Amino acid sequence: VEPLGTHHVLRIGGDVRFRVIDGEAVVLRQSAAEVLVMNEVAARMLELADGAAPVARWVDALLAEYETDRPTLERDVLELAATLVSEGILEPVAGEEGMGGI
Amino acid sequence: MSFGEAFLATPDLFPGRSAGEAWGERTFALRLPGGTCRIAGLSPAQDEAVRLRFGPSIPDRAGPPDLRVFRAAESDFRAVDTRGWEYAADLGFAPGSLRVAGLRLMARLDWSPAPCASLWTPDAGSAAFAGIFENVLRLLTAYRLRPAGGAVIHSAGIAIPGWGVFLGVGPSGAGKTTLSLRARERGAVVLSDDLNAVLPAARSGRAGGGGWTAAHLPFTGDLGASPRAGAAGALTLRAVLRLEKSEEDALLPLSRAEAAATLLASAPFLNRDPYRREALLADLLELCGSVPAYALRFSLGPRVWSILETLWNPSARTTSCGSVETSASG
Repeated sequence: VEPLGTHHVLRIGGDVRFRVIDGEAVVLRQSAAEVLVMNEVAARMLELADGAAPVARWVDALLAEYETDRPTLERDVLELAATLVSEGILEPVAGEEGMGGI
Repeated sequence: MSFGEAFLATPDLFPGRSAGEAWGERTFALRLPGGTCRIAGLSPAQDEAVRLRFGPSIPDRAGPPDLRVFRAAESDFRAVDTRGWEYAADLGFAPGSLRVAGLRLMARLDWSPAPCASLWTPDAGSAAFAGIFENVLRLLTAYRLRPAGGAVIHSAGIAIPGWGVFLGVGPSGAGKTTLSLRARERGAVVLSDDLNAVLPAARSGRAGGGGWTAAHLPFTGDLGASPRAGAAGALTLRAVLRLEKSEEDALLPLSRAEAAATLLASAPFLNRDPYRREALLADLLELCGSVPAYALRFSLGPRVWSILETLWNPSARTTSCGSVETSASG
């Protein structure tokens, strides 16, 4: 499996619903009873995961919002995105739908 | 495993609608947050078992039943070895109904438009019948609160005279019963150490109500029923506490998102209902917008009470946004 890169396009998992409250995200999964609360950065990533823009665009947007350098932010975003993908919160847009599946 | 397989001999024959042969003609009614709940179709022995568990029926028994009791054959159910096993009924969610399969029970909720329940059981009224009945009543109560924006929450409901109620919320083992014991030692009224109702004050029947209320439910945990709890009615909900076992006692502010997630995770049945969970979350977020929430780290010892007192004691140190920040260690 190709590691997650900034060229990948991600979207919210099919059974995932979320609401952003005061910067934090409350995440529900239809297939499970669990309720997750995610911090501000994760909440922004869920908002940015529109299934069209690659991860690189998320980094552009977050760079304007946080005082950090691009390499650090890119590393943190990819790490968190990979976790969210492994948890099924985000899923890659495959093939022709997006700009490159995983 | 598909719906009902653990409990039912032929899950495919689960009743498709509220119909069957009633056990008897006895009726029963009890007052619950969300309105009077009327039960029909009880046999004399079942009626007696219900009275032993919930006390005498209230007089208001006229009107369509909210719960009907029907006969089922013993052969409809599998023999289940329950040794070392934690019982959880099987729930089958659908947009307009909810099916339940459990130990010697089948039940369904249908919305028409308010939720009405049907219970099929082979139990003619033994001591176990009260448990079967209560399992369905708990479910029905949780859903009957929803049209009013309310919810049932797994919690210890503690009423402080002259102030209001705080809910100590957490899963089994979080310390709800211990906290309730500490509260009783200090003269507080424990509504329930297991399940309590929350309702917008405007919908709870309390005059002039803003904010939210908490109300007693006749469902208790290890502590049993408190004689004063039933008479308390709907009381102002003042705080929500997420219980966290810790060696150090402390009360820390909780964000609105964390508080709402805690309540949702502690809302039985609804927290697993994919068709009604988001609406419940919206209501709980509203609650958390008007009722302060905290994480209560506590060591299960009596010291915790001095921290809790800062909630209703005017001399408690408060921050500019009104939240209490205090701790006691050692």
